[in-house]
Amino acid sequence: MAGKSGRSINNVPESPFKKAIFSWEGILVIVFILVNILSSQLSEFYNIGNVLYQMPTFLAEVLLMLPMAYILVLGEIDISVGAMVCLCATTSVMVCNTGAPFILVVLAALATGLCCGAINGFILTRFQELPPMIVTLGTQIIFRGLAEVILGSGGSVSAADTKGFKQLQTKVGEVPTILFVVLVFAVIAAVILGKTIFGRRVYAIGTNRVAAYYAGIHVQKIRFIIYSAMGVMSGLCALYLVSKSYSANTTQGNGFEMDAIAMAVFGGISSTGGKGNLAGGIISAFIIVCLRCGLKLANVHAQVILLIIGVLLISAVALPNIIKEIRKAASGKKKA
Amino acid sequence: MKKNSTVKKIVGSREFLLAVIIAILFALVTFKSPSFLTPKSLSDMLKNNAVTMVMALGMLCVMLVGGIDISITSTLALSGMSIGMLLKYGHISGIILPFIIAIAIGIACGLIVGLIISRADVPPIIATMGFMYIYRAMGYLISNGGEWAGAAALGTFKDFATSTFLGINKVIWVIIVCYVIFFVFMKWARTGRKIYAVGSNAEAAQVSGINVRNIKLLVFSIMGCLAGLGGALQVSVYASAMPDMQYGGEMDVIAACVIGGVSMSGGRGSVVGVLFGSIILATIAKALPLVGIDALAQNMVKGIIILVVVVVNVILQRIADNNALKGREM
Amino acid sequence: MKRKVLSAVLCGAMVLGAASPAFAAAGDGQKIALVGKSAGNAFFEIAAASFTETVEAEGGEVTVAYPETATADAQIATLEGLIGQDFDAICVAANDVNALQAVLEDAMAKGIKVSSFDSAPNPDSRQVFVNQAGTKAVGQALIDACYDIAGGEGQFAILSATSQAANQNAWIDAMKSIMEADEKYSKLELVEVAYGDDEPQKSTDQTSALLEKYPDLKVICAPTTVGIAAAAKYLQDNESACKLTGLGLPSEMIEYTGEDKSCPYFYLWDMQGLGKLSAYATMALVTGDITGALDETFTAGDLGEYTITEADDAGTEIVLGLPLEFNSENIEEMAKLY
Repeated sequence: MAGKSGRSINNVPESPFKKAIFSWEGILVIVFILVNILSSQLSEFYNIGNVLYQMPTFLAEVLLMLPMAYILVLGEIDISVGAMVCLCATTSVMVCNTGAPFILVVLAALATGLCCGAINGFILTRFQELPPMIVTLGTQIIFRGLAEVILGSGGSVSAADTKGFKQLQTKVGEVPTILFVVLVFAVIAAVILGKTIFGRRVYAIGTNRVAAYYAGIHVQKIRFIIYSAMGVMSGLCALYLVSKSYSANTTQGNGFEMDAIAMAVFGGISSTGGKGNLAGGIISAFIIVCLRCGLKLANVHAQVILLIIGVLLISAVALPNIIKEIRKAASGKKKA
Repeated sequence: MKKNSTVKKIVGSREFLLAVIIAILFALVTFKSPSFLTPKSLSDMLKNNAVTMVMALGMLCVMLVGGIDISITSTLALSGMSIGMLLKYGHISGIILPFIIAIAIGIACGLIVGLIISRADVPPIIATMGFMYIYRAMGYLISNGGEWAGAAALGTFKDFATSTFLGINKVIWVIIVCYVIFFVFMKWARTGRKIYAVGSNAEAAQVSGINVRNIKLLVFSIMGCLAGLGGALQVSVYASAMPDMQYGGEMDVIAACVIGGVSMSGGRGSVVGVLFGSIILATIAKALPLVGIDALAQNMVKGIIILVVVVVNVILQRIADNNALKGREM
Repeated sequence: MKRKVLSAVLCGAMVLGAASPAFAAAGDGQKIALVGKSAGNAFFEIAAASFTETVEAEGGEVTVAYPETATADAQIATLEGLIGQDFDAICVAANDVNALQAVLEDAMAKGIKVSSFDSAPNPDSRQVFVNQAGTKAVGQALIDACYDIAGGEGQFAILSATSQAANQNAWIDAMKSIMEADEKYSKLELVEVAYGDDEPQKSTDQTSALLEKYPDLKVICAPTTVGIAAAAKYLQDNESACKLTGLGLPSEMIEYTGEDKSCPYFYLWDMQGLGKLSAYATMALVTGDITGALDETFTAGDLGEYTITEADDAGTEIVLGLPLEFNSENIEEMAKLY
């Protein structure tokens, strides 16, 4: 599994202990701890209770990061995610308001997500020349536009029966159940990507699509499955969002695609495909969640939070490369 | 014989296809609303889309080397907000100086993005996503936490967008000049051809003595420069500067390029294609309210049209490729 | 080496974190959080400044917080962050009518007083709403302006913000119902409600489409700050015969206001007063002077005494007053204020 880590700093020491620390994931764990220390310094209110209280809103986005990681490993991108979340939330509330049992509401959200994802997948596999970015840009506008039409003027509909949605917000002690849901999905997604033939094939496609095709991998089938899975997870995320607000509105999920991509990339998954693993993605997701909670609790200005995340994102990708460059230059000089 | 093949070449080209699409769109809209095809209406349309059209040229360069830039509207907001505040508090005045300052800020922003991308090997989508947040936040901080610079605060600067030269609005002159410069630059200038070379095959370009890194740095600086120009145009055309200007507008610019036939993997695309692509987008934006589509459904229809145009483009391209193959078999 | 790099990254993050304003210290008096719709809104900032000033003058302390984007989701996250701190009250300008219910109910359950101003969350999620001007009063003022400028008859159109904007929808509905109820307006014809999404570019497209579609259009009514400024610019640049009215910021509109310009007059309310009244109402909630129930009264400093009345959505509200008219005579003066 070595070398799968998206970012490595060269001359990794040989001992397994050091290897663990100096891998990108090891560094992320350290960053995670430091973010928590920093946050608790910034705000007197940064404690487990408060973080667990704030977490569910951000955790819903982590659900999107998991399939997004697959798409990034393929070397592709899906920017229609936020709009899919919006459309799923809309249908779930609409179904809920017809008085249907909650299980149908859940199915409606997931089915809508599946349809949206399948539409993306269909167009992308049928017209392989089309770049995913532009197709999902088109469907992004369409999905949100459709939600706007369904929601009608006013653009916001509240759920008549909140009982089912409240169940999604239950807690075990102080720990919200969504945390367990996210962890279970994260482990499943990580195992599939890291340990199964399917996962291997995803890496193969991301590394060299043509070669993968000639090696007998059903490239288009796999792409279709992944884009559909992205849709289903959007449906799940939408259910948790609705359970937070008991309503659907046209701005729901705005910008979630960028958050999901940021989490994955910060975790070492390369947007150019074929590199990275979900362990890094998951740790980095929690880093960003804790950082956001901490900065919010310290009442740091919203724009400054975005600025910090922007800087972190760029430096996480740039710094290892810069160091490598400097080392190369230094060793080059020595030789000369 | 030769003449015949030139005609064939033009008819078979992607640009011709786009021209046909534009003609069809124009015909449809004019049929529904005759006032669309008047000089005034068209000049309004160009003026109102000047920012997107100008920035699409920069995006062409970026996409030609296989990159993408989603930080452009944040750069636009930062440069536009900067001159807005400078004008509001009377530090500068006039027309030329604000334009120069906005463009300078744009170039600086683009240069930083380009350095990060070319020197630290950060994938463009990630780097520009980071800078999208950073520049937007800086634009916000410059606005003193949310001040706007309104028409009265901008003095004579806003007159630029209302004055004409040779009977044509100066904003449209800016578009024309930019497109002419880029047409010449991309077609005949050595550097322009180098951009194509890097996009088609970066390694081959490197081996043949082109400094790929510097070309990448250059295209992002060009992009920044045009985003800065876009900032000045935005403030001038709408006579107001707000920190959330053009939020999300980068997607329109990218869509204009892709509709215009620019390949996202680099190496393919032309200035004429981008011109047509952005005119198609501008026509959609202008026509949707005009032809009486329900206000709530306008966004959905816009998305469908974009997708259809892109897909039709691919299908026609496939047919063209097939025909070319058939020709070979003979 | 790697450690050094790592620590450099973290130092950078810390510097950024430290440089940003942090207001964690607990002070005397009340701690009130004011939550805006999004950062960078000049409209909100004016009210927020006077809100803060008023509370601080009374010995309290205000934290202004913004969601990262102008969405209800982001506002929920912001509110949850605030609930975790020991605030006495939260005053919110809601991005969505329904979406904040769960989190605001939770806040009230935790003993935090919840007031709102500018745009209200639904009645279940607030104790009291400070309304800038009664919905009917705004509708009446706008329709009268259209009637007056159109000369009593003819076509007029509305250029609104987004189709989801709750305030704008309420005002437009009020205008429509007033038109139906009174014979006086029977010769006025509302031809279309267009949405400019509060973007200058789209608002301009919509304005030009309105003019091309309805050549006899006499008045455009734009009850939104961005929309009115964009439409005013377009009409003035084209020397259109169509006139404009609506709701806008004087400092944005000064160039376009006057009898011979594109906008004869328009309306807004006392933004500073709105901030002030919201501050007093919120503080009164904390001290227990009011609970947000119908017919309670309280004194809002030099603004005088206010009574809580029933709002259109069956919740309670405090109405600041009537909309103010801005015309060529007072605009210079008012533009200095906001």
